[in-house]
Amino acid sequence: MMFFQKKKTKLANSNNIAITNYLTDGLLVFNSENKLTLLNPRAEMLFEVLEGRVLGKSILELARFERLSPLVSLLGGEIKPMEKTELQIKENLILEITSTPIARDGERINTLIVTHDITREKLSDKMKTEFVTLAAHQLRTPTSGIKWSLGGVLDGSYGELNESQKEILTKAYKTNDKVIELVRDLLDVAQIEEGKYLRNLVLTSIEDVIKTVLESRKQEIMNKKLNVEFQREDVQKIMLDIEKMEIVFKNILDNAIRYTSTGGKIIITLNRKEKEREVEIHIKDNGIGIPEYEQDRVFTKFFRGSNVMRVDTEGTGLGLYISRNIIEAHGGRVWFESKEKQGTTVHVTIPIKERFGEFLTGKFY
Amino acid sequence: MKKILVVEDDKFLRELISQKLAKEGYDVAEAVDGEKGIESVRSENPDLVLLDLILPGIDGFEVLAKMKADPKLDEVPVIILSNLGQKDDIEKGLEMGANDYLIKAHFTPGEIIEKIEAVLK
Repeated sequence: MMFFQKKKTKLANSNNIAITNYLTDGLLVFNSENKLTLLNPRAEMLFEVLEGRVLGKSILELARFERLSPLVSLLGGEIKPMEKTELQIKENLILEITSTPIARDGERINTLIVTHDITREKLSDKMKTEFVTLAAHQLRTPTSGIKWSLGGVLDGSYGELNESQKEILTKAYKTNDKVIELVRDLLDVAQIEEGKYLRNLVLTSIEDVIKTVLESRKQEIMNKKLNVEFQREDVQKIMLDIEKMEIVFKNILDNAIRYTSTGGKIIITLNRKEKEREVEIHIKDNGIGIPEYEQDRVFTKFFRGSNVMRVDTEGTGLGLYISRNIIEAHGGRVWFESKEKQGTTVHVTIPIKERFGEFLTGKFY
Repeated sequence: MKKILVVEDDKFLRELISQKLAKEGYDVAEAVDGEKGIESVRSENPDLVLLDLILPGIDGFEVLAKMKADPKLDEVPVIILSNLGQKDDIEKGLEMGANDYLIKAHFTPGEIIEKIEAVLK
């Protein structure tokens, strides 16, 4: 019986060794004293070290090895737990690190580090973004040509137009302007993906940002005879990228305006949430709402509600995607509640950050 | 009569803007690439240059740099008219001394002329 157990264990052990030897991800194991007890062949390749040379060393001692030092910086002396955190080891090597403490009876006995190579995915993303940027720029030349030439015809530079000619050409001109707007959105999306998005952080009054946005949409609001109320409490200035935040509120307000019928009502509220150190903004309309079965796709790229496409064909479908990215880059959240034919309320929270440094510890684009 | 030099490699766009300028009473000179652009600034003595950035040969930024480096040319106002429109490019152009930076697809020729008039005042 004992002999059989021993043989099973030996077999299980050699199976385990085979698994770690052939695993296509790098594997490191640290014991309860944070000393390295395993470094599999794949990790040897990725980090350019031999297991024999590093076994038994403490995590901080490993910082001496060139390719391991970024990993040591990331994990820290205490070997922080983390999931799928990106780490660049050298020029053509980007890894996804997952660090899992293994506990028994509440005590950490080992820490398992799995390193997954994502260099190809990152390169592919980069190429896609570069392609979108290039294509968008290339699209601007012909659309400029159309805008200028049609504009010229419409302003009488090529002779007088009759009413029906003016009408159809105006539609063509506006359609082209829509393509130009889409190109602009595509470029914004590409920039977000490239991670170059938040640039100019400045202490700003968010009330002023909202007032500027409301001012810019004054005409549309009047045209639709909408009743717009801005209820606010005094909120201190916070660090914001003003230009990007204007884009956010313009997008959300544009939706409220577009999808609320003539004579409808929009209420914007701004308040401070003391405990959570956040500023909250709510934009509530009594418009056509978003169908329930579509609500989970609202923030995805190019989404436009099916009920909306019939009402208004404008809108590129990228506005909310871009807005969410900007809000999240600030450390905030955005969500909404909506009922078809009753209206939608969009909620935005932005953490109160008063110094630039507060952005660098979190996810900072 | 004020003279505007249009540096633009796309024939269609070049013709459209030149025609509009002529209609509004401006004297127009044209250059189809960066090299000819620099030569024309020297030979034509324009009151303002409309400068595209993406040009065959030397690009618009280089033309601008050459103009600013030459004491005979650095006073000539330049409006960059380009479809390259990322914030980086705009900042770079303005820092290099351009008077304005317009994205072609976002302005009509009439609006561009308004900008020219604002600079020439």
